[in-house]
Amino acid sequence: MTKLIYLGCLSLKNYEPTCKNAIKIIKFLDNEYKVLDDAPCCGSLAFNISSDEELKTHIQYVNNWFRANDITELVTICAGCYSYLTKYYKELLGTDFNVEIKHLLQFITEPRNLEKLDLQYSGKKLSINYHDACHLRNASKPIIEEPRIILKSIKNVNFNEMGYNKTNSICCGAGGGVYSIFKGNSDFNAKAIFDNMKKGKILLTACPFCYTALKRIKEENNIKKSIIKFEDFIANLMEGVDPIN
Amino acid sequence: MNDKGKELYDVIKGKINSMKEEDSLERQYWNFWKLGCFLKTKAHDLKNVYEDTSREFVDKYKEQLIKMREQVLENLDYYVEKCINVMRKANNFKVHYAKTNKEAHHIFMEELGDNKVVYKSKSNEAKDIGIIDFLKKNDIIIKETDLGDVLVQLFDYKLPSFQVGPGAHFSIDDIVAKIKEMHGVELEPKPSAIVDYYRKTYRKELLNNVKVSLTSANAISAEDGTIVLGENEGNISLLTRATEKHIVVCGIQKIVPTVLDAVLVAKIQSRINNVPFNYINLISGPSSTSDIRGINVLGMYGAKEVVIILVDEWRTKAIKENLFYKDYLKCISCRTCNFVCTAARAFGNIFASKYGWGATAILTDYIHNGIEAAVQDGLFFCTNCENCYHWCPVSINIGEIMKSIKKEAKKAGLCPPPLKEYQQKILKDKNPFK
Ligand code: SF4
Ligand code: SF4
Repeated sequence: MTKLIYLGCLSLKNYEPTCKNAIKIIKFLDNEYKVLDDAPCCGSLAFNISSDEELKTHIQYVNNWFRANDITELVTICAGCYSYLTKYYKELLGTDFNVEIKHLLQFITEPRNLEKLDLQYSGKKLSINYHDACHLRNASKPIIEEPRIILKSIKNVNFNEMGYNKTNSICCGAGGGVYSIFKGNSDFNAKAIFDNMKKGKILLTACPFCYTALKRIKEENNIKKSIIKFEDFIANLMEGVDPIN
Repeated sequence: MNDKGKELYDVIKGKINSMKEEDSLERQYWNFWKLGCFLKTKAHDLKNVYEDTSREFVDKYKEQLIKMREQVLENLDYYVEKCINVMRKANNFKVHYAKTNKEAHHIFMEELGDNKVVYKSKSNEAKDIGIIDFLKKNDIIIKETDLGDVLVQLFDYKLPSFQVGPGAHFSIDDIVAKIKEMHGVELEPKPSAIVDYYRKTYRKELLNNVKVSLTSANAISAEDGTIVLGENEGNISLLTRATEKHIVVCGIQKIVPTVLDAVLVAKIQSRINNVPFNYINLISGPSSTSDIRGINVLGMYGAKEVVIILVDEWRTKAIKENLFYKDYLKCISCRTCNFVCTAARAFGNIFASKYGWGATAILTDYIHNGIEAAVQDGLFFCTNCENCYHWCPVSINIGEIMKSIKKEAKKAGLCPPPLKEYQQKILKDKNPFK
């Protein structure tokens, strides 16, 4: 019985410090969780263009890897992995798929974990927004309330809803592999997300795809508001570091 | 990816480049479009003049609407037959059932007889069924009557236009200049002056000259064969009254069980888009009178003849063969999915087909013209965000349908190369970034 920290290939490739932060949070909450080196990609970027047979072959490969490593539970930090693992793996493998999937946000929301984290912001009251990523809000078990529960539990943090939120949030334009072909999709949409922030000084996202698009747009347009990954935000608070810096 | 795939990828990239050019039509259109989307989505949550927001209004009826649409699709044959029977028996309508678009075109030509001019309302159904292209090919003069479309026609505009508010992207100065160029009349650059000009000139023509008019229907009631048509300008009122022959062309999916359902569809369309339907026409027969000794005579002041052409084409097949896009038959053509669409907002008029604009128009192109057409329309701009699904009043997951089309495109070798590369790496190396 192994509890796996499933980081996802995009974060592993581009966001190593975030991966470290996520591991820190998860291990702090349950030390039995561990990272395995050769974890295969869930297949997220292939799902929109692959046939059922191709997907099934890939999914079976991943499932066999889970079995070989005796994985019974996993926590992923990737919105895409969460969405695909909970939807297609169950759909295509049925009862052959026996891994309990959790996203980091769900994991943190468990009462004993929230209690253990006992988060607070040490600076002047911090006003934040949270962006609902499509992968999380559209999942077969949507993750919508969890981030709100977490953020509202943090002392000295003021959580603000976006103008368009939950199932009506604006898509960053990077999903469906579109970022690899038509980046222009984000030029308009990711910018619209920043425009849609109400009051908040920083924007949190729990999706590495959204983060990639939002970060670029922030830089290209000189947007003053910060964009921070959820894991980094939480890890910083745990360590008393100001997430804005 | 085969050669065709590369070619289409280049076509799309070319379109993106044209959109980036400051003065291009695509750019102008897109600039207006961004504003339009912003205002439309914003308006969903504003109370405006009603006690509830558009969204609340739609939510109130959503369940009822979905149930009603599903009921129709599950029993489409039954409703079509029932509707045709009652339209013939009770309403004095002349009804044609066309199995294909082609059949509908020929029926229309026959109904047209010697007439060479057709006055039409804004009708996406007519585009979908290909009537407009067909009539043009046969040298029939099409006269638009919705002011937006009149302007689009005035500019001989080639790009697909908005379904709601076509022509709204033209500047007032450009319109006034164009009217001067085409009609030799100098107008004050004010919307009211332009409207007044058309009211004084074109309204007269619509009242006196129309022999054959073409409209679609927002919905048709199977219970009593009533055609429901919503509008705000009054052009449909004129087209359906001050004409000799009013021809309605639409797909069989427009049929709903009762007249109340039909009015509900029109109300939802109006409220969801925040467009006023100042008039909702309920048409249950040609104009008639029995005032002379109780003898019924058709064609008093209104249309002498009302002809209905109901078209099947792909519709029954989609249901019977359980095709992946069959859910699209539930669509009530409100176009909300287009306004909230990530790809459409970002790519404006290049996420479109000759049937109009947005994912639904691309789907229509796919249905009629196949996978290459869909790829060329910008299929791969879609992020599968499912905004369309969340906002659709009948919960159609257009995003999921787009995904199925993408899969087919990949199979046909038409997937953009970087995306295919990722897929290959995932399937082979189990990591897209290795
Ligand atoms: S899923 Fe595709 S079609 Fe639907 S709103 Fe998103 S980008 Fe548009
Ligand atoms: S798919 Fe839904 S939202 Fe789009 S036009 Fe049809 S009914 Fe409206």
